[in-house]
Amino acid sequence: MSYEMIAILMFSTMMLMLFTGQRVFGAIGFVGVISAVLLWGPGGSDIGFSAAMKLMKWYPLLTLPMFIFMGYVLSESKIADDLYKMFHVWMGPVRGGLAIGTILLMVLISAMNGLSVAGMAIGATIALPELLKRGYDKQMVTGVIQAGSSLGILVPPSVVLVLYAMIARQPVGQLWLAGVFPGLMMAAMFIAYVVIRCRIQPELGPVLPPEDRDIPRAEKLRLLRAGVLPLVIFAVMMVPFINGWTSLVESSAVGALAAFLAAVLKGRMTREVFENSVRNTLGISCMFMWIILAALGFGAVFDGLGAVRAIESLFTDQLGLSPWMILILMQLSFIVMGTFLDDTAMLVIVAPLYVPLVDALGFDLIWYGVLYTITTQIAYMTPPFGYNLFLMRAMAPAEIGLRDIYRSIVPFVMVMIVALTIVMAFPQIALWLPEYVYGK
Amino acid sequence: QSTIKWRMQTYAGPALAEHVIDPAIKMFNTIAGDRMQIELFYADQLVPTGELFRAMQRGTIDAVQSDDDSMASPTEVTVFGGYFPFASRYSLDVPVLFNQYGLNEIWDEEYSKVGVKHISAGSWDPCHFATKDPIRSLKDLEGKRVFTFPTAGRFLAQFGVVPVTLPWEDIEVAVQTGELDGIAWSGITEDYTVGWADVTNYFLTNNISGAWAGSFFANMDRWNELPEDLQTLFRVCCDQSHYYRQWWYWGGEASLRVDGTKMELTTIPDAEWQTVEDAAVKFWDEIAAESETKARVVEIFRKYNSDMAKAGRPYRYG
Amino acid sequence: MTALMGAYVRGVDGFNRRIGRFVMYGIFVMMAILLWSSISKTFFNPSMWTLEMAQFAMVAYYILGGPYSIQLGANVRMDLFYGDWSVEKKAWVDAFTVFFLLFYLVILFHGAIVSTAYGLGYFGDAPYGYFGGLIWAFVTGGPDAAGEVLGHMERSPTAWRPYLWPIKIIMIFGFFLMLLQAISELLKDIATLRGVTL
Ligand code: NA
Ligand code: NA
Repeated sequence: MSYEMIAILMFSTMMLMLFTGQRVFGAIGFVGVISAVLLWGPGGSDIGFSAAMKLMKWYPLLTLPMFIFMGYVLSESKIADDLYKMFHVWMGPVRGGLAIGTILLMVLISAMNGLSVAGMAIGATIALPELLKRGYDKQMVTGVIQAGSSLGILVPPSVVLVLYAMIARQPVGQLWLAGVFPGLMMAAMFIAYVVIRCRIQPELGPVLPPEDRDIPRAEKLRLLRAGVLPLVIFAVMMVPFINGWTSLVESSAVGALAAFLAAVLKGRMTREVFENSVRNTLGISCMFMWIILAALGFGAVFDGLGAVRAIESLFTDQLGLSPWMILILMQLSFIVMGTFLDDTAMLVIVAPLYVPLVDALGFDLIWYGVLYTITTQIAYMTPPFGYNLFLMRAMAPAEIGLRDIYRSIVPFVMVMIVALTIVMAFPQIALWLPEYVYGK
Repeated sequence: QSTIKWRMQTYAGPALAEHVIDPAIKMFNTIAGDRMQIELFYADQLVPTGELFRAMQRGTIDAVQSDDDSMASPTEVTVFGGYFPFASRYSLDVPVLFNQYGLNEIWDEEYSKVGVKHISAGSWDPCHFATKDPIRSLKDLEGKRVFTFPTAGRFLAQFGVVPVTLPWEDIEVAVQTGELDGIAWSGITEDYTVGWADVTNYFLTNNISGAWAGSFFANMDRWNELPEDLQTLFRVCCDQSHYYRQWWYWGGEASLRVDGTKMELTTIPDAEWQTVEDAAVKFWDEIAAESETKARVVEIFRKYNSDMAKAGRPYRYG
Repeated sequence: MTALMGAYVRGVDGFNRRIGRFVMYGIFVMMAILLWSSISKTFFNPSMWTLEMAQFAMVAYYILGGPYSIQLGANVRMDLFYGDWSVEKKAWVDAFTVFFLLFYLVILFHGAIVSTAYGLGYFGDAPYGYFGGLIWAFVTGGPDAAGEVLGHMERSPTAWRPYLWPIKIIMIFGFFLMLLQAISELLKDIATLRGVTL
């Protein structure tokens, strides 16, 4: 059997295994190790474990538990409550204002965190019940929270961009900066969507009743102070990093400590909050790590079969496509794969296939990192497989059904695809800031 | 008769491999044709570099290009692979040491003991510092987190250097994420080729060793299964690879020092650098005391360097 | 039979739960190491061991915490179809597919055994026999006799040069616990299918 055939067989077996509903790491890991044993005999049986050693040496992974912990502390301790209240009061008078406020809240939370978990948790537990109570359309607001929290991986700091940086060997600092404007642009597009929707159908996002709006001016100003906390945490984490005083992984530990101390100082670090944060951090970290472990093993075998070279020659030599057509095809295939492949697995298995190809085609890898992240964001929230979907289901109030969650993301995914297209057409949206700062 | 297939992994990443190994493997595959094909994998691709030796011994891969130190070989000669402080001055010293001063025999003995075939040793570039901040005196070394070879790191620790070992492919990003302040892993040719010159600003012209020493290895059974002509072909291609590196690095080092624009050259005065060279002599003694085999190798280094000094110019100046 | 299964499930789940609840505080260990790294870098000479130590802590954290994360239900499944199935159907399919998971874990466990034996200086093809001999030597002749069985001890190829066997033994232990946990999940599924509670 040719290597290409084996590679296709491996991939389809993995898909089949995933559909059985067995734990994702088990499905991927099994296909990886059994292929290695069948191909390479007893020596091949070491590939699975070898991946554990590889994972150990992959130092940016240390940021993962740190950012997850930070996210849980921020959401469990409800220190973001005040932040939500701030947007609530200030945006309430506008049609759809609470939804807009929620998106702005998500942008701030994204700036404090490298994953989407924190935004999702805060959105689902704090903002969502309030929005429902105020008569907001449940599908629209469910979508708002999922789309908004996905900004966590595009607005710096971002764990996905760190992992991408490792694979593409591109500077993390520049990648993070490249995510700033596309992230803000996308947030603005979400807001525009909400504004337009609510203009056409005002019942989707009613204006706050006067008794809720009637808050003394002094009180309103006082609430603005809540916005200081995220700025402080962001600064404590990012300023030493940008200045080179702390390294990336050290900065993530500083950020986790800052969030923890903020919760303690605000008197929110109760025994229960502590327990939940620490336990959930273990659970989610283990989920990520075991999938990465399995995917690294799978990826080594896949790579060993020369799948990269096969795909490269298929695109360029056999099909004779132009670089742009290949790029568009790749993004499409990414979105399709993202709908049924686990996102972490996608990063570890598919990115190493595509990144060298993008480089060979002559595209800018910083810019592509942003495209890649937006695609990952889409994958995060498209059914059947997406972390944001899972998290939403786990965290949302009971009245939000699975169908609501699935339906809610449709318009936002459209907006994200438009954003993706805009960044593809105008690379300067991503590249201007890093070029300006680093004077490339 | 079916094609013999080998999997070989190098410790170099793709950018560097383009020069230091790709041409030799391509040549081998072209000549061997349907009889044998070698698939080449780059740094950490199939297994992490630290696991290379074990993977070869177990048959997960069939052959390896690496220095003994980086692949953590469980032999008495490990510390001498890579950059053993001041063991060599020029890249031609390495093949002379192996072919004329008896290192080949020692390596062969040591690797046979652990079931691995040591095929051929060759040399690469000298070892210099490439850093974000300039090094103009020994004091500037203090506190610098530097990616370097394990043994070189042990040696440099006495000058306040903090040696860090990370996967080769991650180095460029690690300099940018602040995990590293610099790199002491190569000469200037490699700094430019693999992109490290883009993330560092200064190149220290003093080196801590004249040439890297590394080898080609194979799983013993796989090697013995090869017909003699393919073994010979493999050796010839190894030699070709050594030869390519001899001129590629030698020329590259000089031309990039003269014409390179990405890194500013700095120098520690000879008198001050002498401290480092003197420390190396002590370090050799420490290593020699660790075992009989190590003592034998160190003795050969001593003899060779003294011979070269006696031979005078052009072998050694001053 | 049910009693035996119940005892196994309670024993394994209880043990793994305690281990998991212990290692979950490892997040603070990692944080402390990384913070020390930046403090020592700023005020003294940076430490040589911090990054590697943090990596060891991370490995212990996720491998030993794995079984508890299974208990917490944190390991995601692709539930396009799975999500809509009844409890019984899920148990049926799981009771079958868990063998794939078990196979993977056995291979990981075996790899860890082979690699640890290598880490202790054994290069042969019979690592289990080697460990048997090692334990036997220790039991009959004490630490000195066991020391005789050890060979070239593998060290991390860094300047700090820590021995690798401690972290590898933790990995063996973790994969083993993970195996026990997966079997416990299988027993729970069987119990569900037979309509009994353990
Ligand atoms: Na972020
Ligand atoms: Na998805």
